[in-house]
Amino acid sequence: MTTAQFPTLAESGLSPEAAELVTGPDEHPIHPEHTPTGQLAFGVFFQGVNSSTIWRLPSSGDQVAWESFETLIRTAERGKFAAFFLGEGLRLREHRGVPFELDVAGRPDAQTLLAALAAVTKDIGLVATQNTTYNDPVDLARRLQTLDLLSAGRAGWNIVTTDNAWTGENFRRGGYLDHADRYTHAEAFVQVAEQYWRGEQVAHDGAHYSVRAQGDLPRSAQGRPVLFQAGASPAGQDFAARTADVIFSPHGSLAAAVEFRRSIVERTVAAGRDPGSVKILPGAEIVLAPTEAEAEEKIRWVRDLQIGPEQAIALLEQYWGRDLSEFDPEGPLPDVPPEVVESGVTRGSGFQFAKAEELTRQWREEAAQKGQSILEFARAKSGSRRGAFTGSYDAVADRLVEFARLGAIDGLNITPWLIPSGLDDIVDHLIPRLQERGVYPTEYAGSTLRENLGLPPV
Amino acid sequence: MSTTAPTFESTRAGAAPGTSPTGDAGAGVLPVLAVDLVTAPPLLDGLAPLARGLEEAGIGALTLSDGGLHPIHVAAHLAPLTRGLGLLPRTDAVYVEPFHLATQLMSLDHISHGRAGWLLQAETDPSAAAAVGRDLLGLEATAREAADVLVAARRVWDSWAPDAVVRDTERGVYVDASRLQYADVEAETFSVRGPAITPRSPQGLLPVLVADTDRGAVGERASTELVDGRVLDLDVSGGARAEQLAARIASARDEGATGSASTVVRLVRLVGLDLEADPLGTARELAAELRARDLVSGTSAPGRTLRELLGLPEAPFDLDPARRADRARLTREESA
Ligand SMILES: Cc1cc2nc3c(=O)[nH]c(=O)nc-3n(C[C@H](O)[C@H](O)[C@H](O)COP(=O)(O)O)c2cc1C
Repeated sequence: MTTAQFPTLAESGLSPEAAELVTGPDEHPIHPEHTPTGQLAFGVFFQGVNSSTIWRLPSSGDQVAWESFETLIRTAERGKFAAFFLGEGLRLREHRGVPFELDVAGRPDAQTLLAALAAVTKDIGLVATQNTTYNDPVDLARRLQTLDLLSAGRAGWNIVTTDNAWTGENFRRGGYLDHADRYTHAEAFVQVAEQYWRGEQVAHDGAHYSVRAQGDLPRSAQGRPVLFQAGASPAGQDFAARTADVIFSPHGSLAAAVEFRRSIVERTVAAGRDPGSVKILPGAEIVLAPTEAEAEEKIRWVRDLQIGPEQAIALLEQYWGRDLSEFDPEGPLPDVPPEVVESGVTRGSGFQFAKAEELTRQWREEAAQKGQSILEFARAKSGSRRGAFTGSYDAVADRLVEFARLGAIDGLNITPWLIPSGLDDIVDHLIPRLQERGVYPTEYAGSTLRENLGLPPV
Repeated sequence: MSTTAPTFESTRAGAAPGTSPTGDAGAGVLPVLAVDLVTAPPLLDGLAPLARGLEEAGIGALTLSDGGLHPIHVAAHLAPLTRGLGLLPRTDAVYVEPFHLATQLMSLDHISHGRAGWLLQAETDPSAAAAVGRDLLGLEATAREAADVLVAARRVWDSWAPDAVVRDTERGVYVDASRLQYADVEAETFSVRGPAITPRSPQGLLPVLVADTDRGAVGERASTELVDGRVLDLDVSGGARAEQLAARIASARDEGATGSASTVVRLVRLVGLDLEADPLGTARELAAELRARDLVSGTSAPGRTLRELLGLPEAPFDLDPARRADRARLTREESA
């Protein structure tokens, strides 16, 4: 593995944007307690349910077929990706009370699929997004440990806390958990899982349940599954700083990533942990082309295919709470008041509340100011929510080098916008350039996910 | 392949090879010969060659009994390592989330291209209840709940039409909500709204069977009215003599000939096969002898679903108007 001798940050010619963010010497460029490894690890985030996956092209593959997953994970392993992630949503997304028809929907159970993928891969980590609110901790811990043993130490758990009662309608307990309690609940849940993994007697009596069990499976090659956390609120960050090995954060600019790193370093130190023991992997889309101009054209093409006219109208309907089908997607935002007090974002993990009256007024003003149609506005909104590294192969590689050298991130969790071929140009064109620049592994560091993420042993 | 000539006349003289003489509800083929593997951690050493070897030895299906590692995970792991074997985890219906269980099993069916089945079990061990923070149910309540969970799982499996994913680029529609239905399960101790978060799996409805040893706990309703057939358990832990096993299969088959569809033996399960000794040799020998006597069906064939192997008809799909997933839209349109 390369632990290249870097030129100093000054010598390497940081961009003005990056140079402005440096506050310390090269060993601690952005925070006195944080030393960049200068290395990046990639994960692939197979969301399976959302508008980021383009389903309209002839090359859009089947979203549930085994062959799609097998092709994608083999490409990722060829590119020395550290991890293969699966998202989770425990109720089919709905729009105005009807299953949402316009985006890709429906996916296999994450762990069941990963247990099978473990049989056709050797090195790549296998990470399941699994919810703490609607699982039983001992059952989930046992499944994850089984996956860890089946894969010889490659399992990971992306801990999410989605708690709404609407999702609860699929489960025994229903909507039993207050939003405010989601992380205290999650923390107790993870403690139970950790006891189980250590082979201890579990005797938990908490606010929500009492469970008894005996951990009886052998330790895996990496000690226990790697813990990822996805949740960006302050409570979520504190939970991650106390508990997680890796944070799966929303993507932002370099400045936002530096700020997020500083926030996590502070919280990790406050929790009494070494800040190097919590890695940050933002989710990101990557749109590449041989030249900058082609890449510009390509991202527009991608966004057009992700958000069609119907999706643009549907996006607004979530906030207006009413039928907007009579409005022209090429025209201005609807000049009618919303029919709801709070927005009900197409339900799923992105559920959020916003004051509809205020938000819709703001949006009308914003779109009018920018001269955007409904369609342009919707594409800009969902694009900015996702964030993307767009550019020529070399330009994207150079930008990522800056992220690595400042230590803003430890890698990316990449959402391919096409299944199953969406990683091909990343593996064929971007990764070799990152390897040449000494920021990306040329071989797997070890056989476990922990090793391949550069995490200290448990 | 069979080196042993049949040593006695087939008890089904006159029947065409590969068909059952019973001719009653859904019974068109011979039972599938299965080997039960207990999912204790040492099983992982050499699991892939074992599974492939059993497949080559003429075994038609594997059942996975809980020995620590989760049986559904082990079954899923075996799916890409095998080609035509049926994969049936034996797993509890009671101290689980019915929605998760249904999703996991239908995912196994996707991953295995339609080779998944479920050996339904009902836990009576207090530790299973304690692990999920519930009180142990009495026998009757256990049986009621096992039946309810089976019904719920089928509702979830059956919530997407086979053609629900339309990918209509003209209308911009990926999935047609009018081809989905809610599960709308309101059972005694749980409810499940649905629809599934997974599209319909290759078999639609996975075959559900109850092992003989589990019938007591699972109860009458699930193991006779609701299941897709009978499992005959043959304990081979003390060594196996083909003649004895053949006699047991023949008599179970004759019992099944007179009863309902659920008494038809669909699976003959070898339990307690010694994995330390010569499991492949034993399996090969038994498979050959039982096949030569026309008591179990031939080798599993890649490309066939477990329903086909077991002689079950293709699962139909019916849309229940009361559970249509687009009912909210229909109501809006009517009132407009
Ligand atoms: C990058 C990212 C990915 C996420 N993916 C999922 C997911 O696949 N399933 C899910 O239920 N929640 C997902 N979540 C949301 C989490 O459920 C999180 O618990 C939720 O945002 C509430 O926590 P918060 O208030 O701290 O953000 C994701 C969040 C982030 C930031």
